[in-house]
Amino acid sequence: MSGPDGGAAGGGPGEAGNGVPIVEIEDLKTYFPIRTGILRRLAGYVRAVDGVSFEIRRGEVFGLVGESGCGKTTLGRTLLRLQRPTGGVARLEGRNVLEFRGRDLRKMRRRMQIIFQDPVGSLNPRMPVSDIIGEGLLAQADVENRWGERKVRDKRVGDYLEEVGLRRDYARRYPHEFSGGQRQRIGIARALALDPEFIFADEPVSALDVSIQSQILNLLLDLRDRHDLTYLFVAHNLSVIQYISDRVGVMYLGKLVELSPVAELYANPRHPYTIALLSAVPDPDPRVRKKRIVLTGDVPSPAAPPPGCRFHTRCWLREQLGDPEECATIDPPFREIGGGHRVACHFAERIREEVSTAAVIGVEEPPGVPGGADPISQAS
Amino acid sequence: MVLLSVADLEVRFHTADATVHAVNGVSFELEEGETLGLVGESGCGKSVTSLAIMRLLPQPAGRITGGTVTFRDAILTELPEDEMRDLRGKEIAMVFQDPMTSLNPVLTVGEQLTETLMAHRQMTRQQARARAVALLEMVGIPRPATRLGAYPHQFSGGMRQRVMIAMALALEPKVLIADEPTTALDVTIQAQILDLVRNLTADFGTAVILITHDLGVVAGMTGRVNVMYAGFVVETGTTAELFAHPRHPYTVGLLRSIPRLDDTRHEDLVPIEGQPPDMTVAPRGCPFAPRCAWREERCVAENPALEPVVPGTPIVTTGPGATHRAACWYPATDEEARHGAPLRAAGGAA
Ligand SMILES: Nc1ncnc2c1ncn2[C@@H]1O[C@H](COP(=O)(O)OP(=O)(O)OP(=O)(O)O)[C@@H](O)[C@H]1O
Ligand SMILES: Nc1ncnc2c1ncn2[C@@H]1O[C@H](COP(=O)(O)OP(=O)(O)OP(=O)(O)O)[C@@H](O)[C@H]1O
Ligand code: SF4
Ligand code: SF4
Ligand SMILES: [Mg+2]
Ligand SMILES: [Mg+2]
Repeated sequence: MSGPDGGAAGGGPGEAGNGVPIVEIEDLKTYFPIRTGILRRLAGYVRAVDGVSFEIRRGEVFGLVGESGCGKTTLGRTLLRLQRPTGGVARLEGRNVLEFRGRDLRKMRRRMQIIFQDPVGSLNPRMPVSDIIGEGLLAQADVENRWGERKVRDKRVGDYLEEVGLRRDYARRYPHEFSGGQRQRIGIARALALDPEFIFADEPVSALDVSIQSQILNLLLDLRDRHDLTYLFVAHNLSVIQYISDRVGVMYLGKLVELSPVAELYANPRHPYTIALLSAVPDPDPRVRKKRIVLTGDVPSPAAPPPGCRFHTRCWLREQLGDPEECATIDPPFREIGGGHRVACHFAERIREEVSTAAVIGVEEPPGVPGGADPISQAS
Repeated sequence: MVLLSVADLEVRFHTADATVHAVNGVSFELEEGETLGLVGESGCGKSVTSLAIMRLLPQPAGRITGGTVTFRDAILTELPEDEMRDLRGKEIAMVFQDPMTSLNPVLTVGEQLTETLMAHRQMTRQQARARAVALLEMVGIPRPATRLGAYPHQFSGGMRQRVMIAMALALEPKVLIADEPTTALDVTIQAQILDLVRNLTADFGTAVILITHDLGVVAGMTGRVNVMYAGFVVETGTTAELFAHPRHPYTVGLLRSIPRLDDTRHEDLVPIEGQPPDMTVAPRGCPFAPRCAWREERCVAENPALEPVVPGTPIVTTGPGATHRAACWYPATDEEARHGAPLRAAGGAA
C-alpha cells in the first residue's frame, strides 16, 4: 500500500483470510429512534444493528449478505463513522474509530472509502464528474501524490473512468447525464481514485450488466492483489458474493447468523436462513425449475425483534423439529463449529452433512433432517 | 391483443458539447398479459426507451426525434400533456431505476402512498391509508402501520425500492414498465416481488416490460427478450430460444459472462472485450463492430437490420410464437456461441 501509514504487512492475495485484522467490530449496536404523529413522539427504536461482532482481515474480501433492511448499510456506515453507534466498538488497526480527531481523522477518511448503495444521492448534481472525483483528490493532495496540480488530477480522473469502463471524455458531463449503471461506476471510480486501504462497497455492481460487472469485479480483485486492499462487500447477488469473497457473513434482522469461508458456506450452509437464501437464487437457464424454500410467516420488525432466536417466526427447521422450546426463548449464541465457521442456531448440527448447495438448489433433493417434513415448495 | 407498440423510436440528448444518440430506431410490440425482458449493456438505452414511452425524458436535453409510440388507439408521442398525465400511473405505470428520483424526500412514505391512491382511485384518506398499509405489507415491509410516518431516507435501499413497486402495483396499470425493480432486494424478497408482478399479469392482463441485468430473473419471468446495444435492438425472440441459441455476437458474449452459483471452476469471469460505444457519434456500420470477433469488412460500412435468423420466416412480433430475429451480417452458430468465438478461418465469410 502506498502512504507511510500502511501498517503491518498483512495477508497477501495468496493467504487472504489469514492476515491480521484491519477492522474489528465488537458487539456493535446502532439504533434509530422511531417518531410518530404530528408531534413526532418517540415510539421506540429501530434496532438496525443489534450486537454484531466480527473482524475483517487485511487483504480479504468480506462479503455481507442478508435480507433487505437487515442492517448491512447501517453496519458499514457506522464502521466508517458516518453514523454514531449506540453501543459497542469498531476498531481500525486496533484503534477505536470514534477516537480519531483532526489530522488523524482526515487521514482515516481517505484510507477508508465507501461506494454508496444509492449513486444518485451521493453525487453532487451541480458538479461535473471531473470535480466530483477531483474534489476528494484535492482534499487529500500532498507533495508526494501531487493531486493538487490540475493536470495530475485530471489524468487520474480519466484513468479511473477508463478502469471502470467509462470514456475519459465523460469527465465533463454531469451526473444526471448518465445511465444508472454509469452513475454507479462514477461512485466506484471516486472511491478507487483515492488509493484507499479499506473500502465499504455497498451493492457496488447491482446496476451493471454481467459483462461490466465481471470487469469491475476483476478490477477490484486486481487492486486487492496489487495494493493489499480490503473490502467489506455487500451484495444481494449470491454468485457475485461467491466469486469475490474470501469469507462471507450472513445477517438477519440486525445480527450475524452465520460466518464462514466462502467455499464452506456455499457447500455446507448451517443456518436455516442461509439455506433458504441459497435456494431462492433464480437460475439463468430458463429450462431449470428450482425448488425454493419459501419463508413463511411475517417479516418481523427490527423495532421489536422476536424473543429467543430472531429467525424463529419463519424458520423451516424449527417447524421440522416440532417447535422446540429453546428456539423461542433462548437467543442462540454465535458459536464456532470448526474451520472458522460460525453459526447462531441451536440446531445447526441437525442439518444433514450432505445438505450442500447442490442439493438445495438442485432439482431433486430437498434439505432435510431425519424424520422431517419437506419444507420445499415448487417455485413456479 | 397488442397494447403497446413502439415504432422506429429515436431519442437524442443535446448536451453542452455533443449530441447523444441514445435510442436509434427501436421497434417492438407488447401484447396483453405478456412479459418482455429488456437487457443490454449499461448505457445502451433501456431506461431512455422507457422514459420516452412515458414521455418523461429529462427536459430540455432529451427529445424524441423520430418514431411513434402507440397505446391502444392513442398515439402517445402526439398526445397533449394533460391527456398523457391521465394515462400515466393509471394505464401505464413505471417503477424507476432509481427510487430516490421519484420519491419525494420531504414527504413521509405514508403521505406519498395515500396521495397517489387518492388522486387516481377516488378513495377517502382513511381508505387510502388502509390500502397503503396493505400494499406495504404485500411488498414485505414489516409492521407497515408503524413505518408510514418515516421519510424515504429512513428506509433501507431495498425498502425504498419496494415502496415504489407498491405505488405502481396499487394502480393496477395495463402496462407496467419496471426498470431494475429488484436490484436492491435479497433473493427471497425478490422472489416475493416477482410473484406479485406475475399475479398482476395473470389477474389483470397487465403487460410488463422488465428491464434487468439479472439474466436469472429474465429466464424466470419473461416470455420474450429484446437485447439492446448502443441504442439498437440487436436481437429479439422468445426467452427460451434466445438463451438456447443466441445469434448476435453481443448476446453470445453477454450469456457467456454470467457467473453461476453452481460454477465451481472459479475461473476469472470473462467480460466482453473493448471500449463501450461512443454514443455521441452517429453510428454508421454495425455498432458492435469495434468489439466483435466475427467482424468483416461489410460490418464497418453497413448497419444490419433486425431480420429473422432463419431467412424468409414470416415475422411474428409478440407472444410465444415470436420470430427470432437478429441484426447481424454474420450471426454465430450454436457451436460458435458455445465456443464464444467464430470458428471459420479469418477473413472468410460464413
Ligand atoms: N440526460 C442525459 N443527457 C445526456 N446523455 C444521457 C442523458 N441520460 C442518458 N444519457 C445517455 O444515454 C444513453 C442511454 O442511457 P440509459 O439510461 O437509457 O441507459 P440504460 O440502458 O438504462 O443503462 P443502465 O443499465 O446503466 O441503467 C447513455 O449512454 C447515457 O449516458
Ligand atoms: N436514518 C435512518 N433513520 C431511521 N431508520 C433508519 C435509518 N437508516 C436506516 N434505518 C432503518 O434501519 C434498518 C436497516 O437499514 P439498512 O439500510 O441498514 O438496511 P440494509 O440491510 O442495507 O437493507 P437493503 O438491502 O435494503 O439496502 C431499516 O429498517 C431502516 O428502515
Ligand atoms: S435456533 Fe431454532 S429457530 Fe433459530 S434458526 Fe435454529 S432452528 Fe431455527
Ligand atoms: S454485423 Fe458484423 S460486426 Fe456486427 S455483430 Fe454481426 S458480425 Fe459482428
Ligand atoms: Mg442497504
Ligand atoms: Mg437504466
